[in-house]
Amino acid sequence: MSHSRRLAQAAVDLALEMVAGNEPPVAIAAGAGDDVIGTDATRIAEEIATVASEKGVLVLMDLGSAILSSELALELLEDPDTIVRLSSAPFFEGLQAAVVLASAGASLDEVERAAVSSLDAKSTQLRHPPPQDEPPTDGPDTGPAPEPDASADATLVNQDGLHARPAAAVVATVAGFDAQVTIANLHSGAGPVSAGSPTGLATLDARGSDPVRIEASGPDAQAAVNAVLALIANGFGEEQAAGPAVEADASSDVGTDGGSPKAAPAQTARQTQPRRSARQASAGPVGVSPGRVVGPALVLPPPATEPDPNRVLATQDRQAAADRADAAADSVGVALREQASHVAAEARDILEAIAAIAGDPALRASLRSGILDRGRTPERSVWEAIASIRAQYEAGGSRLAARVADLVAVRDRIMAQLAGQRAPGIPDQNNPYVLVATDLAPTDTAVLDPARCLAIVTREGGPTSHTAILARSLGIPAVVAAEEAGTIRNGAMLLVDGATGEVITDPSDQQRADVAAGDHAHAAPGPGATADGHRIPLLANLGSGDDLAAAHASGAEGVGLFRTEFCFLDRAEAPSVDEQVTAYRRVFDGFAGQKVVIRTLDAGADKPLPFVTASGEPNPALGVRGYRTALTHPELLDDQLNAIAQAADLASAQVWVMAPMISTIGEASAFASQCAEHGLTQVGVMIETPAAALMAKEILATVDFVSLGTNDLAQYTMAADRTLGSLALFNDPWQPSVLRLVRAVCTAGTAVGKPVGVCGEAAADPLLATVLVGLGVTSLSMTPRARSAVSNRLRTVSSIDICRSVAEAACAAATPVAARSAAAAGMPRG
Amino acid sequence: MVAEAQGATLGQLRVWIDSFHTLVAEQKAYLTELDSAIGDADHGINMSRGMNAVAAKLDVSSPSTIGELFKTVGMTLVSTVGGASGPLYGTFFLRIGTSAGDVEELDGSGLGTALQAALDGVLARGKAQVGDKTMIDALTSAVEAFRGAVQGGSSIADAASQAQDAAERGRDSTTPLTARKGRASYLGERSIGHLDPGAVSTALLFTALAKALA
Repeated sequence: MSHSRRLAQAAVDLALEMVAGNEPPVAIAAGAGDDVIGTDATRIAEEIATVASEKGVLVLMDLGSAILSSELALELLEDPDTIVRLSSAPFFEGLQAAVVLASAGASLDEVERAAVSSLDAKSTQLRHPPPQDEPPTDGPDTGPAPEPDASADATLVNQDGLHARPAAAVVATVAGFDAQVTIANLHSGAGPVSAGSPTGLATLDARGSDPVRIEASGPDAQAAVNAVLALIANGFGEEQAAGPAVEADASSDVGTDGGSPKAAPAQTARQTQPRRSARQASAGPVGVSPGRVVGPALVLPPPATEPDPNRVLATQDRQAAADRADAAADSVGVALREQASHVAAEARDILEAIAAIAGDPALRASLRSGILDRGRTPERSVWEAIASIRAQYEAGGSRLAARVADLVAVRDRIMAQLAGQRAPGIPDQNNPYVLVATDLAPTDTAVLDPARCLAIVTREGGPTSHTAILARSLGIPAVVAAEEAGTIRNGAMLLVDGATGEVITDPSDQQRADVAAGDHAHAAPGPGATADGHRIPLLANLGSGDDLAAAHASGAEGVGLFRTEFCFLDRAEAPSVDEQVTAYRRVFDGFAGQKVVIRTLDAGADKPLPFVTASGEPNPALGVRGYRTALTHPELLDDQLNAIAQAADLASAQVWVMAPMISTIGEASAFASQCAEHGLTQVGVMIETPAAALMAKEILATVDFVSLGTNDLAQYTMAADRTLGSLALFNDPWQPSVLRLVRAVCTAGTAVGKPVGVCGEAAADPLLATVLVGLGVTSLSMTPRARSAVSNRLRTVSSIDICRSVAEAACAAATPVAARSAAAAGMPRG
Repeated sequence: MVAEAQGATLGQLRVWIDSFHTLVAEQKAYLTELDSAIGDADHGINMSRGMNAVAAKLDVSSPSTIGELFKTVGMTLVSTVGGASGPLYGTFFLRIGTSAGDVEELDGSGLGTALQAALDGVLARGKAQVGDKTMIDALTSAVEAFRGAVQGGSSIADAASQAQDAAERGRDSTTPLTARKGRASYLGERSIGHLDPGAVSTALLFTALAKALA
């Protein structure tokens, strides 16, 4: 049965040619109504009746509603005793095989089996070598690539390019077409790789604005190329970078397309950035998500151990072993998708991306060939197949390397499945716990229950790992790169500080009481002050009006950093002045009568905006970012200041305005004059560069206040990319060099009597906050979550003189560890 | 005096089908447009063709029992719609007919039972579940709401009106979902943000029912 009578008739004619003179009864039920392409259950039931006999009837069908209609037809049969089998066999090949067998008088079972396995011959004949996933760097081409039936070039318009989620979308899309589709990154020369392979696509490392080439062969080639183009043009539904959506040709004729893709990379590949190894030894625990808690350890077993490489399977056992491996990988994919359907969107994306890896044809091909060709055990073959993809990921720069945990998660799940063990991961646990692991698989973090999981401690991982990102999004305190995680025993009591990276096994009663007191203070937060009444306003960092509730609940005495990027994100062009006025007023009104420090747009580096920042800067952290975008887009800043001034006029908050990423006096004074033109009266700048810190005195002569952004100040002082996990230790605000720059700024502020605030993460670390106050900082602004801990700590300090002495001790230290110890030693007990 | 009918008569149920026919005809372009976003752009055309055939059939056959009415509707849809909606809506009406039997009136609980049988039939036929972004999302809420209202003592008219509201909520719930069944599932996450056309036509079905029993 088929949607189309012509199709069905042709298929039957061809099949019957094979058995001329001895045709078995064959009936056609095709189309619906008069000449409608479709399926009709009543017609199927009638046709079954015409060919029914005691041997039974095999129904071959095409797709979609054909299946539903065939099932329904069984209910509509006049004679309910008719033996009918609905076959999942391919429509055309299955029909051929079935007709031949039926003509030979075979039983219904035999006919059905032949139909179902009718694709085997074709699959064997056409078995393609595994999709080529290695970047084409070494060695000569082995031969000319076959010419594709369709091809097109396009530029990725979404910021993050072909990362996991878009790759999964591409894989899902091309799966719907009868075509072999490949994609190459024309920027880096990586690829072509199979578009059906998420791991292959990942190795392209194709980012926003990278040009890519899509090629396809097969009956649906053009449609498949068009579908991928549509995905790309739509930015995979994500935030878009600047630039034309689809450029160049979408030609179906390869002859006009500039030749073979495999010949091109050598000429078109630009110099890529040096690749960094992701396997650098990590040293020392790093807090990646703030919060201070105490709880019992729940230690996850380490990842799967390496299977024996020397076992070789007998030839006759290999096929069964390969099938077993395939089945295990299938089950893992199914289980992950099932799990994905129960969790929140962010976690679902991750689980689905990983499920896609389990079904990756490149992985599967290498898994099967390990078993069939080299006699590996299924476990060993999984191990090796993943190891080879992992090597490509790790060679592919930090962004890809951070996704290695995805691969390990898939590997361990398949291995557990093969061994008949429960899927690895977090056991159901009713009592609160601190999760301790070598590294968390994203599948683990995705299903974490924030109500039960008090904190996370991992031995590996960095600030950009899944663990860190998800822990932050769930508000779970987390410490990564903690060597001691390897020795913590299950059930041990742990104190974890996700801001400082502290992990203490069996904390003292005093330490536990401190944490409990912190919780208590959270309930009734008072103004920030030392015990002798030296006031330090403790303000909130917030990103939009949505954060107001949390800020108020924390007792924040105002807003020390109101980031305005949220207004600009997820859009193709700048928001209107009116729109901005509304958004700003919401926050100003939320803090009526109090101080709100609003920061002008801080785009660039890790916060690119399509209509502001240039893409493809070799060093975006050192590029056109922060206030520097005001030179390239003066109208944006002008509009924003206009909106801030209007919103400030309408509200009663004390509105202070500051510009991010200032490095010269000229920038500071230009900003001050521009603000003055808009009637803004409290104008400041952020001190995030060593240049600005060293010139603080002169800068403070032109503005009313400064605010230290300690994250960037550490990054630029240490010349260490904040986004690189392997450099996390450089980016420590306890680095004495950073502390000394902070001191220089505070000295300048004290000299001229102008406020010096801190709005970086340093302010959220209670001990460091004490040091900052001692250095002369006049207000601290932090994530609302951290406020109670900081407030609590400050109140234990009997006088400002103690802050000053611990600050001097910390600045005098030679290393960050010594600085912290010196500060801790100077603090009063309790 | 309580004049309000406590049951649904053959005539009212015939009005249900007529109203559904009208609504599908009115919304044909909209349904097809929805389907073009995530499917093969034929839902409105197919449903409209099927319901036109149903109307023509009922004009000449005048069924005398509820069972006969819905068997006619179901069989006509099965043989004229062409796409997956044919067997799915066909099963829906055939099951109602079987459940109702040779009667001329159904009380609230009888209609509830018939709707449940219809839902079970569609579930078994399409093998979709709630949350797969299909007609099941609207149908399940509608049937649950209808039966709940009847059990809670509501009149059959109120129950139908609550079923309509529930169907619309179920329909709207499909927008953020990822399609897992049918052709839309090829789009995966790209189906997010679109209403499911089948859920929309199912909501029309219950709008028509509420109208017929009001």
